[in-house]
Amino acid sequence: MPRTPTVPERLDRALEQLLAGLSPSAAAATAGFDAPGRTLLETADRVRAGLLLPPVAPRFEARLGARLAAAASGDSVAWVLRHPGRLIVTGAVGSAVGVGVTAYAVWRSTRRSSTVRFLHR
Amino acid sequence: MSAVSRPRRLDGVPDPDLVDVRAAQADRAAFAVLYRRYLDRVYGYCFYLLGDHHDAEDTTERTFLAALDAIERFRDQGAGFRSWLFRIAHNQVANALRSRGRRRTYPLESVAEPMAPADPAAEIGQADEARRVRRALAMVAEDRRQVLVLRFVDGLSSREIGAVLDRSPGAVRVLQHRALRDMREILAAGD
Repeated sequence: MPRTPTVPERLDRALEQLLAGLSPSAAAATAGFDAPGRTLLETADRVRAGLLLPPVAPRFEARLGARLAAAASGDSVAWVLRHPGRLIVTGAVGSAVGVGVTAYAVWRSTRRSSTVRFLHR
Repeated sequence: MSAVSRPRRLDGVPDPDLVDVRAAQADRAAFAVLYRRYLDRVYGYCFYLLGDHHDAEDTTERTFLAALDAIERFRDQGAGFRSWLFRIAHNQVANALRSRGRRRTYPLESVAEPMAPADPAAEIGQADEARRVRRALAMVAEDRRQVLVLRFVDGLSSREIGAVLDRSPGAVRVLQHRALRDMREILAAGD
């Protein structure tokens, strides 16, 4: 035997019809609502009309869009951030290489300038 | 013969976002399509629950960044992408309210009008009516307000709202019924 739908279930179906474009009275009639039920649908219609989508500020939309695009393309950065240990090792190796190269360059320039001074003595 | 099974939402309707979700899972740059599709509605949800444009922007931003971060883990389990996204927004709104240290917001009635119609007389009438509705909405209990916003601003079904709020569709319908009864009484008292 089919179960009689509860008032919240009937209201839900009537709301679907209201949101699909039916008038409150027509939606109430299809759900078999009496006068109090009709006033609920009239209230629903007021809520639907009163709660419009607020406009999104164009600057915010553009800024967030750019941020998402950067995040979407920044997979490698995200990977590094998810593995901080490797970031430290990479940084340490990079620094050591940098220090080595700089020291070598300084040493070379010192030798060259002392050689030049020697030649011009 | 094996039939190709199409992913379906809880209400039996195929998830219209799934093709774009699959594209975003393969290439995160494709998430832009979903962002453009849902920005207005996620922002609307955050705005009507937080009652403040700045907080709504902040929460919307957190929602989309979290969604992009988790898009690869999205699995269609019946509720659909839309419910999944609004569940993230729901959690972000809850975090924002917690960090504010209050559970209810009232500034909704004092904010600028969402949209301006072309006719100035109609604009005044609609603005007054929208203000009355927002004032009434701010007086409704938070769980009922969430149901009203998800239903009337974002257009979610009671099943989808259930997936967002982690409640059964039946519980959502009861909340919806009570919320509209509350709104009827509040609006009648204000008219």
